[in-house]
Amino acid sequence: MTKKVVLHVLAIGFALYLVVPFYWIVNLSFMHEVDAASVPPHFLPDNPTPANYLGFVNPSTDQALVGSNAVGDTPYALLNSLVVAFSTAVVNLVLGTFAAYSFSRIQFRGSQLLLIVYLLTRMVPGIAIIIPFYLVMRTLDLLDTYGALILSYTTFALPITIWILKDYFRTVPRELEDAARVDRCGWFRMMWTVFLPISAPGLVAAAIFSFMTAWNEFMFALFMTSSISSQTIPVIAANFATDLNTQVTLMAAAGVLAVVPPLVLVLICQRLIVQGMAAGSVKG
Amino acid sequence: MTITAVDTGKPRSGTEQRPRRTMGDTARAYLLNAPAMIVIGLLVAYPIGYSFWLSLHRYNLKLPALERFVWFQNYLSLIGDPAFLSSLRVTVAFVVVVLGLTVILGTALALVLNETFLGRGVLRSLVLLPWAMPGVVNGLMWRTIFDAKTGALNGLLLQLGLIDSYQAWLTSPTGAFLITAFAQVWNTLPFTVIILLAGLSTIPSEQYDAAKVDRAGVVQRFTQVTLPWLLHPLLIVLILETMNAFRAFDTIYVLTGGGPGDATNVIAVLNVRTVLTYTDFGLGSAYSWVITIVTLVISIGYISTLYQRGRIEV
Repeated sequence: MTKKVVLHVLAIGFALYLVVPFYWIVNLSFMHEVDAASVPPHFLPDNPTPANYLGFVNPSTDQALVGSNAVGDTPYALLNSLVVAFSTAVVNLVLGTFAAYSFSRIQFRGSQLLLIVYLLTRMVPGIAIIIPFYLVMRTLDLLDTYGALILSYTTFALPITIWILKDYFRTVPRELEDAARVDRCGWFRMMWTVFLPISAPGLVAAAIFSFMTAWNEFMFALFMTSSISSQTIPVIAANFATDLNTQVTLMAAAGVLAVVPPLVLVLICQRLIVQGMAAGSVKG
Repeated sequence: MTITAVDTGKPRSGTEQRPRRTMGDTARAYLLNAPAMIVIGLLVAYPIGYSFWLSLHRYNLKLPALERFVWFQNYLSLIGDPAFLSSLRVTVAFVVVVLGLTVILGTALALVLNETFLGRGVLRSLVLLPWAMPGVVNGLMWRTIFDAKTGALNGLLLQLGLIDSYQAWLTSPTGAFLITAFAQVWNTLPFTVIILLAGLSTIPSEQYDAAKVDRAGVVQRFTQVTLPWLLHPLLIVLILETMNAFRAFDTIYVLTGGGPGDATNVIAVLNVRTVLTYTDFGLGSAYSWVITIVTLVISIGYISTLYQRGRIEV
């Protein structure tokens, strides 16, 4: 009985811990700036208003000044983030599938070492490669383009993608490939029509992982971008925060918008994510 | 008795029908790996080498005329560099506090989620919320909460009668440090919970039944059954979260910008400022190399521990 009580108290405590901070910025995002600055604070918006969200589409004159045009930039930044994150996921799946297939199906010399090397590259802090990366991108004339960001995020996400996929591919029965081989299917056709459809859950988990990596990343975006033609939402959100005369309500609304796409994705696919990530990490 | 998680690990598919290892297979495998190896080689291996080369130079983007090869002078200057030493202290303290909190909170939350109760599904979904939040948004969220004038925390605590007047949480060095660590933990907790939860789900329920028959108490059951099974996932958590904490940047940059003073000026923030504001690429590269070596040494330590326990399977 006491165990039940303790369990429920803990569960409620954790639920509040997880939700209340986010609730606070959602709450702020529907307030007028005057109410947000009032003492004591309002834990519910007195006169809820969509003005902050509408401002992103059609900013009023005082909104436009916040965070060096961060308000007007927000919709474009969201679009940039979507394009970059989606492309990163696709590039990762293509590169990752080839590599992961080799680890799941072929016994080859150096396979263990290669996997460890992939993993080690993930342990190199981004800050350690950012300067040469910047110089390389400058040479390739890719600064302030989607290309620089997609390439950066691919290197971040690829090792994990390979690990998630190789574990999932190992669960696909070999008999299916043998059957396809009997039917004289080529390797690419076999992959496309048999192997990859069966591996869909693993592919989705890996894709979401890459998407989130790209969506959340800030440091490389800060270095590689300089205009709204490629700035992603974390960069613009940081502009709200570093402006001393910022409007808290607008900043909160931008923050909420930045959370929505990954949150929706994660909630829709939560079962897959937990399975996909768990398979790899628990086995080591 | 020690119980190892590997006992239940699925046998590697294809162990029985292992095909002969031929040259053709090896060539084919490397062909399949070629695209990934090229991308990683060009965009990670090459930059790492190049950044080491840069770290041996005096190289400031704004002063190109002064560029020259200086051997290890940048590294030697680190030893007496107060900004670097203080940031190293802050970083280590930050990593320790974040790891401690993450392991305690993560284990507690995973244990709660492993039980059956009404609303477990809801709590499981809620756990994913902080994970979906970009670090920058996490930083600005906690800023609005700890704000001295309009923050939620001051209002809440005053209304509950726990404080007499509004506190300036983020202006005291200790307060700012603890708040950044707290914010970082909130953001990275889901990942820890997912891994630990997966580890918990592999524990066979017979072991708990056996423990109950032996009249083991809750504490004994935890230390004798649960903990040995959790060691492996906990090591994974330690590896990943150490890396994360050492490179923590987004949340801190937005929440405190390294201040007040240099109370939260972790090495990544110092590094970015050196490079972006002062455009001192040589010194910045030396900073980066120090972080890289420290994290590599730690991760190799963790990985060899995993290897010794015989639980790594690649």
